[in-house]
Amino acid sequence: MKPPVFDYATPSSLAEACALLAQHEGEAKVLSGGQSLVPLLNMRLARPTVLVDLARIPDLDYVRADGDGFAIGAMTRQRTVELSPQVQAQHPLLHAGMLLIAHPQNRNQGTVGGSLAHADPAAELPALALALDATFEATGPTGARTIAAPDFFLTYLTTALEPSEILTAVRFPTLPKRTGWSILEIARRHGDFGLAGVVAIVGLAPDGQIASARLVLFGVGATPIRAAAAEGMLAQATAGRALFADVGARAAADLEEPLTDVHATAAYRRDLARVLTARALAEATTRARAA
Amino acid sequence: MSGVDDIPKSVAGLPNTSPRYIGQPVERLEDPALLTGRTQFIDDVVLPRMLHCAILRSPHAHARIVAVDTSEAAKLPGVVAVVTGEDAKRWSNPTMTVPPGWGTHCLATDKARFVGEPVAAVAAVSRYVAEDALELIGVEYESLPAVADARKALEPGSPLLFEEHGHNVMLQKVFTWGDVDAAFASAVHVVQQQFRWNRLGANPLETFGVVSEWDVVDGTLTCRGSFQAQNHFAMARAMVFNLPLNKVRFISHPHGGSFGGKGGARGTDITALLSRKAGGRPVKWIEDRMEYLAGGASQAWDRHYDAAIALDTNGKVTGFKVKLLDDLGATAEGWGAVSAAKPLTNFTGCYAIPAAQYDLTIVATNKLPGSPYRGMGPPPHNWVLEQLMDLAARKLAFDPAEIRRRNFIPPEAFPYTIASGNEYDSGDYRAALETALEMADYPALRAEQLRLRSEGRYVGIGLVNTIEPGVFDWNAYAIVGQPGTGVPEGATVAIDLFGKLTIKVGFALEGQGQYTVAAQVLADYFAVDIADVRVVALDTLSAPPHFGPGGSRLGVALTGAVLGAAQRLTEKLIAVAAVLFQTTPEHVELRNGMIGVKGMPEAQMPFQQVAQTMLARSDLLPPGIDPNPESTFVWTAPGRTPADDQGRAKSYLTAANACHIVLVEVDIETAQVHIKKYWIADDCGTRLNPANVEGQTQGGVAQGVGAALLEEAVYDEDAQLRTSTFMDYLLPTIYEVPMTEKRALCTPSPFTPLGAKGCGEGAMHTTPAAILCAINDALAPLGVALFEVPASPQRIWTLLQGAAPR
Amino acid sequence: MTTTRRIGMTVNGERHEAEVEVRTTLVDFLRGTLGLTGTHVGCEHGVCGACTVLWNGKAVRSCIMLAVQADGAEVKTVEGLADGATLHPIQQAFLEKHGLQCGFCTPGFMMSIHELLTRTSAPTDDEIVDTLGGHICRCTGYQAIVEAVHLAVEKMRASK
Repeated sequence: MKPPVFDYATPSSLAEACALLAQHEGEAKVLSGGQSLVPLLNMRLARPTVLVDLARIPDLDYVRADGDGFAIGAMTRQRTVELSPQVQAQHPLLHAGMLLIAHPQNRNQGTVGGSLAHADPAAELPALALALDATFEATGPTGARTIAAPDFFLTYLTTALEPSEILTAVRFPTLPKRTGWSILEIARRHGDFGLAGVVAIVGLAPDGQIASARLVLFGVGATPIRAAAAEGMLAQATAGRALFADVGARAAADLEEPLTDVHATAAYRRDLARVLTARALAEATTRARAA
Repeated sequence: MSGVDDIPKSVAGLPNTSPRYIGQPVERLEDPALLTGRTQFIDDVVLPRMLHCAILRSPHAHARIVAVDTSEAAKLPGVVAVVTGEDAKRWSNPTMTVPPGWGTHCLATDKARFVGEPVAAVAAVSRYVAEDALELIGVEYESLPAVADARKALEPGSPLLFEEHGHNVMLQKVFTWGDVDAAFASAVHVVQQQFRWNRLGANPLETFGVVSEWDVVDGTLTCRGSFQAQNHFAMARAMVFNLPLNKVRFISHPHGGSFGGKGGARGTDITALLSRKAGGRPVKWIEDRMEYLAGGASQAWDRHYDAAIALDTNGKVTGFKVKLLDDLGATAEGWGAVSAAKPLTNFTGCYAIPAAQYDLTIVATNKLPGSPYRGMGPPPHNWVLEQLMDLAARKLAFDPAEIRRRNFIPPEAFPYTIASGNEYDSGDYRAALETALEMADYPALRAEQLRLRSEGRYVGIGLVNTIEPGVFDWNAYAIVGQPGTGVPEGATVAIDLFGKLTIKVGFALEGQGQYTVAAQVLADYFAVDIADVRVVALDTLSAPPHFGPGGSRLGVALTGAVLGAAQRLTEKLIAVAAVLFQTTPEHVELRNGMIGVKGMPEAQMPFQQVAQTMLARSDLLPPGIDPNPESTFVWTAPGRTPADDQGRAKSYLTAANACHIVLVEVDIETAQVHIKKYWIADDCGTRLNPANVEGQTQGGVAQGVGAALLEEAVYDEDAQLRTSTFMDYLLPTIYEVPMTEKRALCTPSPFTPLGAKGCGEGAMHTTPAAILCAINDALAPLGVALFEVPASPQRIWTLLQGAAPR
Repeated sequence: MTTTRRIGMTVNGERHEAEVEVRTTLVDFLRGTLGLTGTHVGCEHGVCGACTVLWNGKAVRSCIMLAVQADGAEVKTVEGLADGATLHPIQQAFLEKHGLQCGFCTPGFMMSIHELLTRTSAPTDDEIVDTLGGHICRCTGYQAIVEAVHLAVEKMRASK
């Protein structure tokens, strides 16, 4: 299990990196943390001509609170986010999500941008981004642009990034007051990719009615999936077990065929989505009441 | 000269009134080097001009090999040698197998029989270049139909693994012990169930590795590697390469775990061929993890069971029938068939069951050849028997503890010969059960279970008792064609000129702490500080006959060898000292590290001084005594008997026993199983180093958790492996393994050195059964039960879809 | 841009420079080029944790990191734990608690524990489990390793 021969570049600017990607269009691969890419290289399942390592480009590694959100540089290690006292205090959902990503060694090396751009549908960061209406900053040969989360994840391992475009930052809004959250996943072992997972965000009106709701399912489709119809059932409704069970059923029913693999069938994944949705809504509501 | 019968059966028999080490959790001599990264594992070995091997493997489960073109690979800069099946045919024989006649060359010649079978190999200046070269080898395959299901492999018209046999049945025989038909005919209750145990395997953290050197001038082969039983690998290579055994030298390096399967015959043979082709340059091959999972010693116990017990009105089991279809995979090269034979040594578990039957079929399929794994077969067997006991308890409305109490072999019945012929040495099974019940506060646990059930939570209690046969013997494997009775284990004890002690053994570090145990025993024998004892490993040409770890035997066998050698050495020292004391040897003794005249406390000298006299004062030596203060003893279990036509033999020398109780919760919505608590009461006689024993037990629990919940080598119906990485073959982590509460009981073996019993496999024998019994206890109110491992969430979820409304 | 590159890194306080193929993994560089064979390779795809080393103080899996990615970094391996003949408190704790059997996974475990106990002198049980969770031990069943971590915490506190 040794990687094949490839070239390796360490551009010192985004412009240089984009130029390299353009020059080797389709043959180059961006290296950020490498937690997904290097195993594939070791197995010779990835065969890039050149690796473009972003690690030497300045100003891509930061966690900045900016009022109602956190701007995070693409090369920021997941562990940096996890251990950030500010994130822990002001964005407990983001913090909780980090703890579900693999293991400390992976988070020490794996980057926020790398996970998002890799876009594994079972990964936590894409689901969080979609649930939180994150915005993505990307730079290409023709300049920078902002991509909204719903537009970012196209299909399995595929994003809206152009081949010579590089994700530079992502901004995760914090949750408003009277809003609770939950991120739940079922994996074969803790740290494995989830068989199914759910991010739920519930905002309560002063009268206790549900004012807003957000449901994103992951591991059960080609991308993280916003359960819009199920969310609709929650609008102005009264929180409760029966409602959450119905919402879970709807969210699960609305899924297209989830993946069947050696660990779980599509039917089991769908059923997990149902159960986890109901549980996540209950947990988020409890947190909202306490918030 | 003293023999095996003179070895003390208890610590009180040692020539030391205050032993300091035996029975203590002595820190391991092995550890400082391991902890500082200085232990030399095989991948750490670098030899001058060494080359690196990479192996091209079949992507097909079954395919004729039409042509192999290595010309482009050979041209790649850095490539020194390439070998194919043609080289294997020219320079080697097919490997020997158990049962005989189901083996192949190390590289596929006519056809490939499983995904991952070696087809060609390269030796190059680096592993990176060697793997580059593999991409340049062209193989033309003609795909053949494959069979992945053992039941289909039995059908007429099935693809055949070895056409010359005309069928895929490697072995089929019914063993009957006692009047089992009468037992079932007269039974008041019969409980019958089918079970499925899926493939899993050892997966030590270190894969196999080897460095082979074929001296083309001398015609000798030297292999360094992580060999669990170096002498057996050497013997097999001598046969494969038509070499005299004394021209084959194996040097086993410390290995990063084994659990039965350490050693790769094919990799060793392939590197030997490459070294020969490369003019004698050493060739290293380090199996990578994907090679291990697809083509290494990574799979065992692929079993379909149909089993039943007969009971009388009192819940006494009167008969036990097991029909086993054992899927050994593509060949019998991996010694996996031995795992089908070993259950004869504890067939009826802890219970006095007078009659039993074993209807055994071993079949070939297009999957990886089965290998040994910790426990060697009884873990699935025990899992079947213990679940039948639970099913019977449910049917008869007994508590699972009560049905076991009614069937235990009573303490006064030992030594006890079980129906399948083996003799259990000693034990008190009831005591282990009652101890575990007390630890778990069993009545409170049952009450809590009921309370939680009223809250809609499904917790279950698993309670099982098992036997761990210890100190393995070849005679147990006679039914699958393995010859021999007895497993010799030798040790040499030497005293140097400065009075320090060295123990020389024939096996490398593997993890069980055996060097420490050997040093503890010898330090107490001679009443010296343990720091004065060093243990070193010898290669196959310099070590006394040996086997090393395996079959829960080494602690006992090594203690016997060390004490036997120490006693023989003492006889020499006494003969010399008798001259110095101007008396005769029968008046001289070893006592607390001093050699002295019996009854004369002042007439004594340190044993080291006698040894120094031997080495430095030949003028003082009595006639007939050589000047070497060193002795060797090769221990083998006494009283073993060859197997009869029904496989019955006095085989494994000891029978340790354990009771495990586990509390699990099944989340019936998500099908997740959570192990909440775990208690163990076990009895392996004298614990030479209790910390070592505890480590073996807890490690066995972890592997048992893996077997029960996680680990499975999955093949699809075309016999393609779908679990080829650690992302899919799931080993238990700290999140899944429970921290256990343990209590030790001690019924010393009346037959062994110091009363110790084999203890390396007990938890693996027990944990899978305990967990499945607990899961099924949790699910019982829903009217469903699972008789398949691993009890994956998918399987439990599927089961729950058919469950009674809740 | 080439397929080889000259890199430098400080390993266990010692500065090393070497020309490497860029495809060389960090663990192969440490073991093969520098001869630091105490770091072990168990799976080469980032699951087992045997190859864990400290990279600028953080535990990483050196089998899924390229040596060129560590250019300029401070790396610490198991060989850098003991102070001469004196074992590091983590090593001493493993010794006393029988926290290892075959010892192959142990260096990786100790490096992750080192990161944890450098960051906090009073780790919570959750933090300990999280830290050990990225490692597989096939021998011990983890119980003695957890005990070793607790003992190491005590030893490191006492030595302060």
